[in-house]
Amino acid sequence: MAHHDENLTWYEKWSHKIEEKGFTFTVLAFVAVAIGSLIEIVPFFTSDVVDEIELVKPYNAKELAGRDVYQAEGCFYCHTQMIRPFKWETDRFYGSAYSNEYQYSKAGEYVYDHPFLWGSKRIGPDLAHEAAANKSEQWQKDHLINPQKVVQDTIMPAYPHLYNEKNTVDVRQLKANMKGLRMLGVPYSDADIAAADELAGVTKGDALVAYLQKLGRDLKK
Amino acid sequence: MEERIDFSRDNQIVRLWVLSTIVYGFAGLLYGLLVALQLVVPEMNLAPYFTFGRMRPIHTNGIIFGMIFSSIFATMYYSFPRLLKTPMWNHALSHAHFWLYQLTLVGAVISYHLGYSQSREYAELEWPLDVLVAIWWVILSINFFMTLVIRKEKHIYVAIWFFISTIVTIAMLYIVNNAFIPTGLFKSYSVYAGTTDANIQWWYGHNAVAFVLTTPILGMMYYYLPKHTKLPIFSHRISIVHFWSLIFVYIWAGPHHLLYSPVPDWAQTLGMTFSIILLAPSWGGMINGFLTLTQAKEKLRTDATLKFLLVAITFYGMSTFEGPMMSIRAVNQLSHDTDWVVGHVHSGALGWNAGMAFTALYYLVPRLWNARLHSEAWAETHFWLATVGLLLYVVTMWASGITEGLMWREIGDNGQLVNPNWITIVSQLTGLRWGRALGGLLFFSGFILMAVNLFITMSRKGEGFVETDLREGA
Repeated sequence: MAHHDENLTWYEKWSHKIEEKGFTFTVLAFVAVAIGSLIEIVPFFTSDVVDEIELVKPYNAKELAGRDVYQAEGCFYCHTQMIRPFKWETDRFYGSAYSNEYQYSKAGEYVYDHPFLWGSKRIGPDLAHEAAANKSEQWQKDHLINPQKVVQDTIMPAYPHLYNEKNTVDVRQLKANMKGLRMLGVPYSDADIAAADELAGVTKGDALVAYLQKLGRDLKK
Repeated sequence: MEERIDFSRDNQIVRLWVLSTIVYGFAGLLYGLLVALQLVVPEMNLAPYFTFGRMRPIHTNGIIFGMIFSSIFATMYYSFPRLLKTPMWNHALSHAHFWLYQLTLVGAVISYHLGYSQSREYAELEWPLDVLVAIWWVILSINFFMTLVIRKEKHIYVAIWFFISTIVTIAMLYIVNNAFIPTGLFKSYSVYAGTTDANIQWWYGHNAVAFVLTTPILGMMYYYLPKHTKLPIFSHRISIVHFWSLIFVYIWAGPHHLLYSPVPDWAQTLGMTFSIILLAPSWGGMINGFLTLTQAKEKLRTDATLKFLLVAITFYGMSTFEGPMMSIRAVNQLSHDTDWVVGHVHSGALGWNAGMAFTALYYLVPRLWNARLHSEAWAETHFWLATVGLLLYVVTMWASGITEGLMWREIGDNGQLVNPNWITIVSQLTGLRWGRALGGLLFFSGFILMAVNLFITMSRKGEGFVETDLREGA
């Protein structure tokens, strides 16, 4: 293809050159997408984007086992875990149980969250501060087994299998999980990991409830 | 005299991708209908394997990485040899790509039902399947770039530009976002935590929209539109400007998913700003498509491929206008986490993406099976079922999303929430969510009609296909 038209703009002339050079074109296309990526991602590793909150503690063995259940069941597709800084959100999600500073979600609350579970669709209520709802273990259990019996007209699915006595926490996997997270910087001691042994026979439902009751607990007034 | 290129072996692969598009389209839409119904009939959740939480990723992955990806690969394997004037470099690699991909998708369906999930949207696959994806992506890349190297046509056409940016960028996104530490055969944790994880995941998530659901789809538009109408693309200048600006700008848009979150403000503001800028390059593509298409507008009435091009380009324009608006903080306050977001995604996925996938199917099947499309009338019915279904879906989700957004935030004169009971709000949405399910059902019915139409066409393999000239007055 010959392009010798004098009416061509500068960028057409430039484009015509690289339209015939596959390698150059590919490199430039990569550069185009690398620039924004570097600028938006690198600062997360080179500067302090998170103010750590000393009160926030890692999930213990049982809570972590519950978090794995939360992940496996896909709870985050309907329940967000991120309260925005608006009165209507902090009022709804137990703001009064927290000092002003911690009524809405702070980066420091999530430092042990591998992965983050903020979700993108709030079909049910937000659970970031679920501990402050002060619901008993029994309430949570009944609600998981038969939500419609506890909350009329709720559209939440029932999860009776979580309380099947054979559906228990896999202790070996849990310990491997804790060791993995320790490699990523979660400060688990050997004793913390050994505590997983006590969970033999604990149902996944009980573990899940322990996790729900940990959400937002550390910062409560 | 020019040597005739033998496309027959490449066509064989394209036929497989065509079938794959239909199979995953059927499955993905069926799961979509089921999860839509689960939101109004909770008894349809059958724990443990068939709950909303486990089926939603099968729906989203089935549509995006099943149907849409298959239609993209069908187009890549069909267009590369024709645009580059050489058969694909290595047919064994073409087959390896197809079958490893199938293994991944089947593994995805089974593992999601069993509850194995990394729990990061559109990146849910557990690590062994991620490794499999990486392998076939490398295979595809080698095969594609070697075909580029041995090409007989010096000039690289616009459609190929978009495919190049897809292949390169998806590799980058996938590697960075899937940095995990395996702790078991089916369990792993993201190496990133909290806000950093959120930032990287939505950089990936939004650019899956960019480089799976936009750039390759534009590649498809730039291939099928001029091939089918026998008309040149309206403006090469627009192609140049909107290609480079689109890929440069898109990559920044991710943090608009994280407005008002604990992610630093500078990142949120960059995400919002670039999302608004993105309107321009997106509409560049839409305008180029429209102005090419309108040159054959008389034939829109009689030609199925053209009709779905029209749907695709229209909804591309609509959703790339809506997206930037939703990225503005003030709008996002209301729309965030509501059904509005779901409606927005579907106007892109069902209008723009599925529209282009249907374009590809109606274009490819008669040519690859060498038979006239069984029924243009059925295709016409498909067009109306799809369009009406989609509009019903999108409009009910707008209404539902804005309703819930307003009810969440309503504060009375006494300074208290007007709707403190969550169920009040959920119950308010039931009718609209039934409307959405009905919209989905219409869309799905149209799909089935298309599938039957295409299967009958395939069964008449070899009866002969004659290309019609769609140019005005021709």
